[in-house]
Amino acid sequence: MTSLTLSPLAKARFTHVQREYRRVWVYVIPVTIVFAVVFIGPLAVTIWTALHRTDYFEVKEFAGLTAFVDLFSDEDLLSQVGTTLAFACGALVVALPLGLLSAIVLNNITRFTRLVRSLFLLPWLMSQATAGTIWLWFLNPNYGPATAFARSLGLGSTDTFSNPTSALIAVTLITAWWSYPQAMLLFLGALQTVPVELKDSLKVDGGNAWQGFTNVTLPYLRNSIVSVVVVLLMLYVQMVTIILVTTRGGPLIATETLAVRVFNQTFQDYDLAGASATALLLFAINILLTLVAIRFRRKESL
Amino acid sequence: MTTRFPPRRVWLRAIPLWVFVVVAAIIVLPPIFWILSTSLKAEADTVAFPLVWIPDPLSFKSYSGIWNPTNIRFFANSLILAGGSIVLAITVCVPAAYVATRFRSRKLETFMTGILVLSMVPGVVVFIALYSMFVKTSLMNTYPLLIIVYSGMICGQTILFLRSFIENIPVEIEEAAAIDGASRSQILMRIVFPLIRPGLAAIAIFIFVFVWNDYLVSTVLATTEDMKTVQNGIVRYISTGFGNFWGLFSAFVLMAFVPVIAVFVAFQRWFIAGMTSGGVKG
Repeated sequence: MTSLTLSPLAKARFTHVQREYRRVWVYVIPVTIVFAVVFIGPLAVTIWTALHRTDYFEVKEFAGLTAFVDLFSDEDLLSQVGTTLAFACGALVVALPLGLLSAIVLNNITRFTRLVRSLFLLPWLMSQATAGTIWLWFLNPNYGPATAFARSLGLGSTDTFSNPTSALIAVTLITAWWSYPQAMLLFLGALQTVPVELKDSLKVDGGNAWQGFTNVTLPYLRNSIVSVVVVLLMLYVQMVTIILVTTRGGPLIATETLAVRVFNQTFQDYDLAGASATALLLFAINILLTLVAIRFRRKESL
Repeated sequence: MTTRFPPRRVWLRAIPLWVFVVVAAIIVLPPIFWILSTSLKAEADTVAFPLVWIPDPLSFKSYSGIWNPTNIRFFANSLILAGGSIVLAITVCVPAAYVATRFRSRKLETFMTGILVLSMVPGVVVFIALYSMFVKTSLMNTYPLLIIVYSGMICGQTILFLRSFIENIPVEIEEAAAIDGASRSQILMRIVFPLIRPGLAAIAIFIFVFVWNDYLVSTVLATTEDMKTVQNGIVRYISTGFGNFWGLFSAFVLMAFVPVIAVFVAFQRWFIAGMTSGGVKG
C-alpha cells in the first residue's frame, strides 16, 4: 500500500470540511444552554440536595445517604409504590384497549371520520387541569349528575373523593379517560403500516373480521403495542396534575403516587432533601422505562 | 357504474363500529355537556335539585362575570408564555435539528441521544430543583424563566419533528446554494427555513397547546398571582372559591378551552401531525 498524498486542492477541501465540522457545534450551543438550565443543572442540584440536610429551602451540611435511608425506611413508601403501580396499571388496562379499539374503529368507518375523530380526541384536547376539575364537578357529592344518578337508583349520595378506594379508582379512571386518545393516535399511525393485501387475501380465503384482527392486525401491531405501553406507563408514573387538582394525594395518602409525593414533600412538608431523594427514585424508574422503550424502538426499525 | 352508497353488506358490517362510537360518546361527552349546561344557567340554578340538564332560562351572566382583571391577566400570561416559547424553542431547535440531520458524525449522534434522554426526565423532578434554585433570585416569577423551562420541556420533541422535515429537503438544493457561494448559515436562513415552514407551523401549534394546557410549571415556578396562567385560574375557582362559584368556573373552563378547540378545528391535520411526533410529556 502506498502512502496517501493529498493534492493541494484535496488538502484545502479537507481542512475546509474539518473547519465546517468544528463549526457545527456552534449550531447546538443554544439548545445546550437551554438544556443546561432546564435539565442538567436541576438534576445536579437534586443529587446535591439529596446528599445534604435541608431546613425549609436552605441546603445545610453534608448528610451522606441519610435522605435515602429515610426514604427506604419510610413506611409510607411501600403504600405509595403500591398506589403508583395500581394507578399506572389500572389506567393502562383501561386506556390501552380503548385506544386500540378507537383507532381500529376510526380506521374502518367511511363516513363522518373527522367528526368521530374529534369526538375520540376530545378528552385529550383538554388540559389535565380541566379534565380533573370537570370530573370533580360531575362527581360532586351534592349537586353532581353522578350523585343524582346514584340517588335515582336508590343509593345514597356518592362522595367519591372522600373514600380512599373510590378516590383512587376515580383518579385512575379520569386519567385513563384523558389519556386514551394518545394511545389511539399512536395506534392510528401503526395501523397504516398493516398491508391491505394481507387482509384482502384473508377475506378471499373466507376469514371473518375477528380472524383478520387476530391473525393479521395484531401481529403487525405487536411492537407498537409495547411502545404504547411504555409511553403510557411513563405518562402515568410522572402524572401529577390530575391527582393534584382532584385529591392532592388524599384522603390520607390513598392517591399519593411517587410523583405526587415529590410535590407534597416539597410544598407541604418543606422537606427538600427527602423530596430530592424521592425524585431520584422516580427518575431511576423513568430511566428503566426509557431503556425498555429504546430497546423496542431498535427492534422495530430492524 | 359507481355506487354512491356502499353496498348493503358493508353497511351491516359497520354496525359494531357505530355501536362503539355511541358508547364512546356516552363515556366522553357527559362531563363536557354538564360543564356547558352549568355555564349557561342562572347562578341559583347551578345547584338546583333535582338537577336540570337543559338550562332554563338561559343565562350568559357567568360568561360576562369571569372577565375581571385577574382572569384577564391569566389569559394574557398564557398567551405571552406560549408565544415566547414558540419563538425560543424554534430558534434554538432549528439549527440543532439542521446539523443533526446533515452532519451525521458519531459525536453529534451521541449528543442528540443525550438531548432526547434528558427530555424524558419527569417534569416534577426538575421543577422541584428549579424552584429551589430560583426561589431566591430575581428570575423567579418572570416570563424569561418560565419560557426557558417550557422550551426546554419541548425541545426534544421539536428537534425530532424538525429532523423528519429537514430530511425531506433534497441536499442538492443546498449544494447548489453552496456552489453559488452561500455560507452554511445563509443556507439555513434562506433555503432550509422557508422550506420547513409547514413543519414550523405544526410544531408551533404543538407548543402552543403544550404551554396553554400546562398546569404544573406555572404552579411551581410562578408563585405570585400576577404570573399565574389560565390553568391555574381554572383550579383557583375550586381551591379558593367560596359561595356558589360553579357557573363562573364552568364558563372559565370553556373559555380556556376555546383557543385549543379553535386551533384544532382550523389546523386539524397539522395539529395531529405535531401531536403524534412523540408525545411523552404529560
